[in-house]
Amino acid sequence: MGKTFLEITNVSKTFPGVKALDQVRFDIMPGEVHALVGENGAGKSTLIKILSGFQQPDPGAKIMIEGKETKLNGVMDAIKQGISVIYQDFSLFANLTVAENIGINEIIEKNKPVLNWKEINAKAEKALAFLGAEKEIHPRDLVENLSVAKQQLVAIASAVAQDARMIIMDEPTSALSKNEVEHLYEIIENLKSRNIAIMFVSHKMDELFHVADRFTVFRDGQYVKTVNKNDVDENTLVSLMVGRKVEIKNYADLSEKGPVALKVEHLSKRGNFKDISLEVHKGEVVGITGLVGAGRSEVAQAIFGINHPDSGKVYIEGKEVHIKSPSEALENGVAYIPESRQTQGLVLPKTIESNITLPVLKKYKNKLGIIDRKRQRASVDKWVDMLDVRPNDPDMLAMQLSGGNQQKVVLAKWISTEAKILIIDEPTNGVDIGAKAEIHQIIRKLASEGTAVIVISSELPEILSVSDRVLVMRKGRIAGEFMNDDLTQEMIMSKAVV
Amino acid sequence: MKERIRNFTKRKEFGIILIILVLSIGLTFMSNAFLTIDNILDFLRSNSVIGIMALGMLPVLISGGIDLSVSSTIALSAVVIGNFMLKFPGSNPVLVILVAMLSGAVVGLLNGLIITKFKIPPIVATLGTMTIILGAVLLYTGGMWISGLPAWWSSFGNFRLGSFATAAGGTTGVSTQVILFVIGCVITSFILKYSLVGRGIYAVGGSESSAIRVGYNVNRITVFIYVFCGMMTGLAAAAHISIVGQVDPNTYTGYELDVISTVVLGGASTMGGVGTVFGTVLGVVLMAILKNGLILAKVPTYWQKVVMGLVILFAVSIDVINRKREQAKLVRVDVEE
Repeated sequence: MGKTFLEITNVSKTFPGVKALDQVRFDIMPGEVHALVGENGAGKSTLIKILSGFQQPDPGAKIMIEGKETKLNGVMDAIKQGISVIYQDFSLFANLTVAENIGINEIIEKNKPVLNWKEINAKAEKALAFLGAEKEIHPRDLVENLSVAKQQLVAIASAVAQDARMIIMDEPTSALSKNEVEHLYEIIENLKSRNIAIMFVSHKMDELFHVADRFTVFRDGQYVKTVNKNDVDENTLVSLMVGRKVEIKNYADLSEKGPVALKVEHLSKRGNFKDISLEVHKGEVVGITGLVGAGRSEVAQAIFGINHPDSGKVYIEGKEVHIKSPSEALENGVAYIPESRQTQGLVLPKTIESNITLPVLKKYKNKLGIIDRKRQRASVDKWVDMLDVRPNDPDMLAMQLSGGNQQKVVLAKWISTEAKILIIDEPTNGVDIGAKAEIHQIIRKLASEGTAVIVISSELPEILSVSDRVLVMRKGRIAGEFMNDDLTQEMIMSKAVV
Repeated sequence: MKERIRNFTKRKEFGIILIILVLSIGLTFMSNAFLTIDNILDFLRSNSVIGIMALGMLPVLISGGIDLSVSSTIALSAVVIGNFMLKFPGSNPVLVILVAMLSGAVVGLLNGLIITKFKIPPIVATLGTMTIILGAVLLYTGGMWISGLPAWWSSFGNFRLGSFATAAGGTTGVSTQVILFVIGCVITSFILKYSLVGRGIYAVGGSESSAIRVGYNVNRITVFIYVFCGMMTGLAAAAHISIVGQVDPNTYTGYELDVISTVVLGGASTMGGVGTVFGTVLGVVLMAILKNGLILAKVPTYWQKVVMGLVILFAVSIDVINRKREQAKLVRVDVEE
């Protein structure tokens, strides 16, 4: 295989309050598929950002390309040195043609005021032909009219057109069907045979063992081990990923719970989820886990009235309901705290106070229909105290808070609706360890006061810490159900991946 | 070739062509004045002003922005060239057009700088400049008309290229204003399709963050867009004054809405990223036929506005509905059956 294409050592990356990467290393040969694996938060995305030139590592990092020490100063620089990244969302321009998307970096780099479309189209055609995709994709097609799999091919073709020596694929199969995944394997074989190195980032065990030559495992921002495919089996790899570091408190309470608060029967929606049945009791915390893209959030959004199911029934406290919008959900006592709190959960340029009271402004109306500011402030003070939002100044803007405190404001916002059923999607995504524990305590406190809580999370330690019962989803279905009693991460993973 | 044709039927422009054809056939049966060479050349002439402005607005909408100030800019440019011609009666049409475009470009530069330097949303920035410039124009002119323009200017405005026999027995030809519109189409089309900055406009409209990531200079592109829009608006001022022969600074109120609806009717998306010169030309023609047809069909003036509004709502909502439907069909999870 010849000499190493890329070798990095001692790469760290510190964000305020978090060490995302701690002296990790990684190397890759030409024509090799080297998989980077680890749980969410292991530092995979941070490493991708560094290798793509998008972020700079902490001082002391050593990056060698073909034996020569170098730096990756910016996206264009990384591309010039042969490293291209295909992001999960491909980062394509949907409104432009295939050819323009493939050639866009070169177009800008050349900086010629007048474009030669013949040349751009011909280059794109060549790159597509290289992948054997010239028949299915035309350079003049608009990207928005292509299927996800074809869009991915365009992204790969773009890397090829940039003469990439190493292609980083971030969760490349997350949006592909089985056949499309097979096709991707062929493409990867093709790239390998042309001596292009591929760094493959994925959660899915079956794919990893199919496609990768070596694995490097990261855990909590640290390098764990690099192993050859032939020297490892799935179980060993999973235990390397998960590790034995869990000292998070287990809050599970297996005692008898109250009556059923939420019941879902045979809920299905094409291309989202299939035959979902579940029950949540008053005072119970049910964890729903599974891989990203298993359909967890889609189910939650269906219950909350954002994503309308094709069939199935939903009961709240024994009564069948037909929730068609979030406001109907709130009327029925269901609240949903979305995953991306910055875009879906908070009005960033507004104060803590107005964010918390946004869903319940009606409650503070006086007889004239005017908001009673005193009562509003009094209850905001109560929530800020209870959740220990720092700084505890209700007039702070949401955008001035740290991630953990933003998350607390989002929680306060929905808790203040006094919902009977609370669905929380990734409650501690991007939150530091200390705030995580606090948020877990808040969730348990709500349950002990009689709220039925569903926690959706990819972080198994979190699921094991906070849930009484755990549902595992895989490919749009519920693949397993466990009481949180001697439950291990391995048991969950075995249901989540196949 | 077959695929090309099928792709074309899927494009937005195809729908507009169909509407134009249906309307034209209907109007031809309704009035024998409609499908005559002089009627067509005449309504193209009177609509070329909105058409030229639409060419300026098109890149703005493609980039995901909006320019409300064009109605004030055209008033300003008209007043500027009106006074210019009174001051320099020995000048010539080419110089007048250049002065008009320059005055428009100054307003565009102002808009572009406000939007990029102070990060003010285009709708707010241009709403501000629209009001300020109109105020300044009325302050300067006192709302008075400017007339008594040189004779060479009116012969420039009444020039006809070629000569076609009309039904009434006279002759007509392609007017100056239509020629200006056609030249504008060629230039705009070239910029959008073949220039780096033109492709940058589409990229910014498609995804501003991705455009920055691949290395487009988004601020420079934004300034270009608004300067170009101002220049085209200045050109439109020259076209308009050459038709009416005098300057009435009050006449342009509401032009911005006509222009924006024309471009949107021509398939450009107010969400950015989408739009072509060909589509805009069709939008202009459709608007022109609608106005002309409503007059020929003797629809009362106030009802004409209502009908135009309905057509715009209809055209835009079809696009939005189609988009939503496609979004709903997207497969989000690879469900195991």
